[in-house]
Amino acid sequence: MLKTALVFLLLILSALAYWLFPSLAEKSSLNIPATLSDSSRQSSGYVNPCQNDFADWRKAYKIDGVEIISSPFCQPDNPYDVATFVKGVNNVSMQTLMQTRLAEDFLTKTDDLDGDGDPDIIRIKMEVIELNGFSPDGDFFFPTYDIAPGIQPGLWVFAPKTRGMAEKHYRSKIAHALLRAPSPVIRVEQGDKVFITLENTHYFPHTIHFHGVDHPWRLKNGNHNDGVPMTGEGVVFPGEAHTYEMQPRQAGTMFYHCHVQTDKHLMMGLNGMFVVEENRPNNWLQTFNVGAGQVRHPSVAVKEVYDQEYDLHYQAIDKKLAEIIQQANDPRIIAKKMNRQYNTTESSENYFLLNGHSFPYTLRDAMVVVKPNQKIKLRIANAQRSAMAIHFHGHKAKVTHLDGVLLSPAAQITRDVFDIAPAQRIDLSLQTENDGLHSFGPGIWLFHDHVETGITTDGMSPGGNISILVYQDLLDDMGMPKIREAPVNRYFNKNFYAKKNPVWNMKAFKPFFGDAGMMEVNYFRLISFGLVLGVIFAILFFLIRQPAGIEEE
Amino acid sequence: MKKITFIGILFFTFSSFSLSAMNHSGMIMDAKGMVMNSNPDKLPKDCKKISEDVHFTVHAGHKYAKKFNGKMYAFDQQQWDVKPCSRIKITFINDDNIRHQFMIHGLPGYLYPKGMFHIELYGKGKKEGFFIVPSQPKTYLVHCEVPQHMEKGMKAQLKVAGGDQDLPSIPGVTEPVTPDSYEVSWNQASWAIAILSVLVGFAVPFFLMVKYKKSK
Repeated sequence: MLKTALVFLLLILSALAYWLFPSLAEKSSLNIPATLSDSSRQSSGYVNPCQNDFADWRKAYKIDGVEIISSPFCQPDNPYDVATFVKGVNNVSMQTLMQTRLAEDFLTKTDDLDGDGDPDIIRIKMEVIELNGFSPDGDFFFPTYDIAPGIQPGLWVFAPKTRGMAEKHYRSKIAHALLRAPSPVIRVEQGDKVFITLENTHYFPHTIHFHGVDHPWRLKNGNHNDGVPMTGEGVVFPGEAHTYEMQPRQAGTMFYHCHVQTDKHLMMGLNGMFVVEENRPNNWLQTFNVGAGQVRHPSVAVKEVYDQEYDLHYQAIDKKLAEIIQQANDPRIIAKKMNRQYNTTESSENYFLLNGHSFPYTLRDAMVVVKPNQKIKLRIANAQRSAMAIHFHGHKAKVTHLDGVLLSPAAQITRDVFDIAPAQRIDLSLQTENDGLHSFGPGIWLFHDHVETGITTDGMSPGGNISILVYQDLLDDMGMPKIREAPVNRYFNKNFYAKKNPVWNMKAFKPFFGDAGMMEVNYFRLISFGLVLGVIFAILFFLIRQPAGIEEE
Repeated sequence: MKKITFIGILFFTFSSFSLSAMNHSGMIMDAKGMVMNSNPDKLPKDCKKISEDVHFTVHAGHKYAKKFNGKMYAFDQQQWDVKPCSRIKITFINDDNIRHQFMIHGLPGYLYPKGMFHIELYGKGKKEGFFIVPSQPKTYLVHCEVPQHMEKGMKAQLKVAGGDQDLPSIPGVTEPVTPDSYEVSWNQASWAIAILSVLVGFAVPFFLMVKYKKSK
């Protein structure tokens, strides 16, 4: 009898407990929670938009006879690097070389083969550098390279051969300016005899395949020369070196990349632009454009037609691939995870970079800075896994070359969205004539991929490859765009890209779009639930422990 | 091979290059590599004289990593011990066709700018340099700073007067701070032992309790 009563009571109490169950989220009553204050998060994650380390480097230089045009950016290229890229280490003064971190055997230029006043035998040495890699010495990466505030994906890049420390400053973990994404743009002259030695400083095998650049498949000495392991030559193992040779007969914007496990190694960042410039007399070329972007010493042929030249290199990163090198140190473990456990066919793209940076860091060195009535050459490469649709606000540009090949006049169409297949290059002629077609006038105009994933940083917008086509008058003296009341500073914040800060957290509308606060705990309900649950346990315990006894009574 | 010596060029300063800033720093550089802050004669403040001359020949290369599992680059030795105030001659030999460094940190800044003595070889080859250590017991980090070379094994330590610590993740010498995880080789025998252990763990107290109850 008692047992039946208790079971009945148990059912009622269970229903009551269900009704009283305190949940983690509750419907609000009349008292709706207030907006959370996030001022501490705003300030703690803030990064200086422009550190202005090397303001001097913005002006025009003449170093060892090399004219280097001014560069208005927050992070201008080191003019001494540029002079060394133009002259080669064998022709530049030791004082200049000491202002760089380049190795003394990294680039030599000799032999004017065609007698036109510039060197035609170019010997280049390149290394493979890992950025944001694992350290067995603690919970940090080394050397670090931020693509956006607080975002440090594991990356591999080809880099010019350097010397000395890898860091920017003594006791810093930040990589110095030559060790960065993307892999540098290489520039040679049509007809140059080019020898590129890959010195594999990395812990995995690599090669270089010169995509679209005129090169023999096999050299006269029998060496394979296409950088493709499957067709005979094998790979360049760690600690080893291999020299590729070419004498390109055709000019154009080409590409180069590692052809070992291409789906992984290309996506890790081992790809760059390769520009063959038309042959001209006295044409000393800037053999490297580290970080791509503005060319501070354009070729003779480009200067004949254009006022300025920019290299725009787009790449994307799958965070699941990139983090493999940040989770283990043993090359065997990394190789197994990357080659066999990671599956490219199930991959995605999370980070989108223009010239190695995602917005807002693109504002530091990846803008296109123009003046009215200029003609600007843009060389664009899509090193992403997916196709792109590059769109310029306020301008319509003309496509002149596809994959380095000059288009017939009829095919040189003017438009404002350019589709670019993976690995494809397009050359654009951008005019800043304010005629309502080529330009709508001066401004701070965005340009970005219109495949909308590309304008995000792991889904956080605005980010990705957004950059700015800006008229020079609208830059401040640190090279940052003059944007009213600096709303852009909100994005120079690690917490924004860590998805901690509300997106529309501005001015009078802060209380309307900030994060809603929390409901207070309903203690009456919590205590009632606890008591009911306690009684339920007591009855259960009693029923299980004493079944026979109850029946006897 | 032209060899150019630059005494006092501030190697890592780009922005404020000036002749007046050229103190203390020494660098010998050519197309094969460089030696930075070589010091064969200047005594540290706490040394009255050089206690002894030692000469280490240090090889660097991929092949020295063969004896360490899960590494890719290494020096041929991982530790050197010297007396206080020793003058050390380093003959650094690179056996690879890529760049390697013998970089030592933590030396007194008044003799060695940035506390560094450094030999770098751009490929196969050999270079020499000197440094004199102070008298205090101290462990100095020796490594190659090409990214991932130290991480993948090219790390060692120099102990003066027995040193003051052991640095982490030196191959074959010290454990890493953040070690890798490896799969454990479970097989039929280990499974059987695991099950057996559970059975024994159950059976022993069970039979003891039964025995105790019977005895009551």
